[in-house]
Amino acid sequence: MTKPIIEVKNLAKNFDKNVVLKDITEQVDPGQVVVVIGPSGSGKSTFLRCLNLLETPTSGQVSFDGQDLTTLDTKRVNALREEMGMVFQSFNLFPNMSVLENIKLAPMKVKGMGNDEATKLAHQLLQQVNLDDHADAFPTSLSGGQAQRVAIARALAMNPKVMLFDEPTSALDPEMVGEVLNVMQDLAAQGMTMVVVTHEMGFAKSVADRVWFMDDGYIQENSTPADFFAHPKTDRAKDFLSKILM
Amino acid sequence: MKKKLAFIFALAFALFIGWGALTPTTAQAATDDSLSQVQKKGKLVMGTSPDYPPYEFQATVHGKSKIVGMDVAVGQKIAKDLGVKLVVKSMSFDSLLVALQTGKVDMVISGMNPTPARKKNVDFTHLYYQGGYSIVVNKSEKGLYKDKDSFKGKTIGAQTGSTMFNETKKQTTGTKVKGMTSVSDLILALQSHKIDGVAMEKPSAQAYVANNKQLAMIPSHFDLSSSDTSAAVAFKKGSTSLVNAANKSVDQIRKQNLVNKKYLPAAGKHLKTNTVNTSMWHYWKAFLTGVKYTLIITVCSVFFGFILGVILSLARMAHGGVLKTGLRWLATAYVEFIRGTPMMVQVMFVYFGLGLIVNLPALTSGIIAISLNSGAYIAEYIRGGINSVDEGQTEAARSLGLTSASTLRYVVLPQALKNIWPSLGNEFITLIKDSSIVSIIGVSELIFQSNIVRSDTYRGVAPIAVIMVLYFIMTFTASRILNYFERRMQHD
Repeated sequence: MTKPIIEVKNLAKNFDKNVVLKDITEQVDPGQVVVVIGPSGSGKSTFLRCLNLLETPTSGQVSFDGQDLTTLDTKRVNALREEMGMVFQSFNLFPNMSVLENIKLAPMKVKGMGNDEATKLAHQLLQQVNLDDHADAFPTSLSGGQAQRVAIARALAMNPKVMLFDEPTSALDPEMVGEVLNVMQDLAAQGMTMVVVTHEMGFAKSVADRVWFMDDGYIQENSTPADFFAHPKTDRAKDFLSKILM
Repeated sequence: MKKKLAFIFALAFALFIGWGALTPTTAQAATDDSLSQVQKKGKLVMGTSPDYPPYEFQATVHGKSKIVGMDVAVGQKIAKDLGVKLVVKSMSFDSLLVALQTGKVDMVISGMNPTPARKKNVDFTHLYYQGGYSIVVNKSEKGLYKDKDSFKGKTIGAQTGSTMFNETKKQTTGTKVKGMTSVSDLILALQSHKIDGVAMEKPSAQAYVANNKQLAMIPSHFDLSSSDTSAAVAFKKGSTSLVNAANKSVDQIRKQNLVNKKYLPAAGKHLKTNTVNTSMWHYWKAFLTGVKYTLIITVCSVFFGFILGVILSLARMAHGGVLKTGLRWLATAYVEFIRGTPMMVQVMFVYFGLGLIVNLPALTSGIIAISLNSGAYIAEYIRGGINSVDEGQTEAARSLGLTSASTLRYVVLPQALKNIWPSLGNEFITLIKDSSIVSIIGVSELIFQSNIVRSDTYRGVAPIAVIMVLYFIMTFTASRILNYFERRMQHD
């Protein structure tokens, strides 16, 4: 049996009196693609952000590669964050840098990679997301789909073991959703471990190994996509699916 | 609770600063080694306000601007008799006694009357000169006035902080008394009919009338004791050995009547050469020096102010443990305190107040004071700039493994800087103008230089017009350069 790469135990998170995550215990194995779905406000994004400590859990443990992140000092947390790439709903590209510089920043400043090597790596990644001709463009001149692909390339530049996606297509125009999902699908095919919060049920069905259905601060169901979409167990999941699948 | 805490911090901060100024006054009289100290230094620093010809004024000697006059001659005599070198430091008359008390200068010779009030704070030598008061009026109006009593319903001007100012107030009825820092300003006010007469010492009045055909003088008929009409050299309280030594020189000066025989005629010669060429071109070097120092002060202050501003703004945004909270309170208290006190007071405080602990030159003091001031304002701009950068930028950088310092340096600050660039530019341009405040501690920036040219040439308006143009050239060029960089930072 393989050792899980991410292990969550009794994770809870509240913002003041607002309890968002109540008690979550789950794990992700290397190479797995987990899709987290659920109604808005169910805590999906907060959960994802707890995995790389962008949000500090109120209680519980989040382990990455066998190390409990909640007990580590800032330096160690920074080091482990390198290994977890994250892609945001609103891209969050750095507007003061060109596409190439966006990708080169972390390898150079965190890993101490030389300029030539970083440039080479950046071009490679841009080719992978089909955007090498935009290397010198600035983020404001890109379309949403292009920006999100650059953001993925930027996260990949740190050669992460896991990629976290926080609703990567929710801010995109419909015709651009496909190009981003294709890149993600390729990544999954290459064996990347991924945790994806999304509303794209098609992606969940065709790419995910596991579907986690989240509601009311708990993971209500954890099953294969086939099982989940054909035979949802809980009433909440049935209700959710009936709303989105029409 | 929060407000109260902030108040306590501000108070503690103020007390901390104030403490430095209050303690040393008590420790003065312990031992008097004033004379040996001066001899050890090998120089005697004399403070004076060089806008009072023929006592002291600026003259161009061999192409160089220099302070001359009978008081300087007195100072030279004292220094020579002590066997040390004389160094003349110029500053406004108001600042002279403070400079003496804080050790910025060793003695003050500036036509100063040894009044009882002054005697409480400093020690005076015997009198080296005994004059009287006159009132300078416009020649066209000379017939209207006989003496001080002819100014009912009119205005007499006098130098702020001078004996004339107080006596004119005391001894006239129904007359308004207008105080200004420099005599050349008073003369200008007289010629533009803002005031009707200027009270000053007789020798000065004679010098002005001799150099300006539109002026005339009348006797004042003030009722004065000899200490009010005479001049003596001031030393720091308790420096008896130095006063005694200086008294020997002063007694010689009186005995040989050196002032009337030698010093005044020599000063008169300078006055003549001084007025030969009063065109502004003749003084381009003086203006250039002014521009140079104004730019040095501004650029240095913006540089250090920016560094201080970054530190302060980060401290103000620190959250977390007791240490960070304390840091935040301290930075907030600092910013509030600096913004809540006038820059002029800060400049004087750094020069005179800090001067009690370390002896800083005027230029350094000026740069420190303005940097400290500008840092508080820049901190607020930067704080606003950082807050205006989207939280997602930080999250993206942190998720890539960047430390909080790298995130700030490569991601947040460049964007914040772009957002606040217009405000920073504004601060820079404001500082070019506001750096003029350091003229009160005698830094030869543009305003100070223009005052020298004004008292040099007896021309009141022309130098002001020149520096107005010079200031505009500087600010306009600066704003063009800033705009260029602003455009370069736009990527959309």
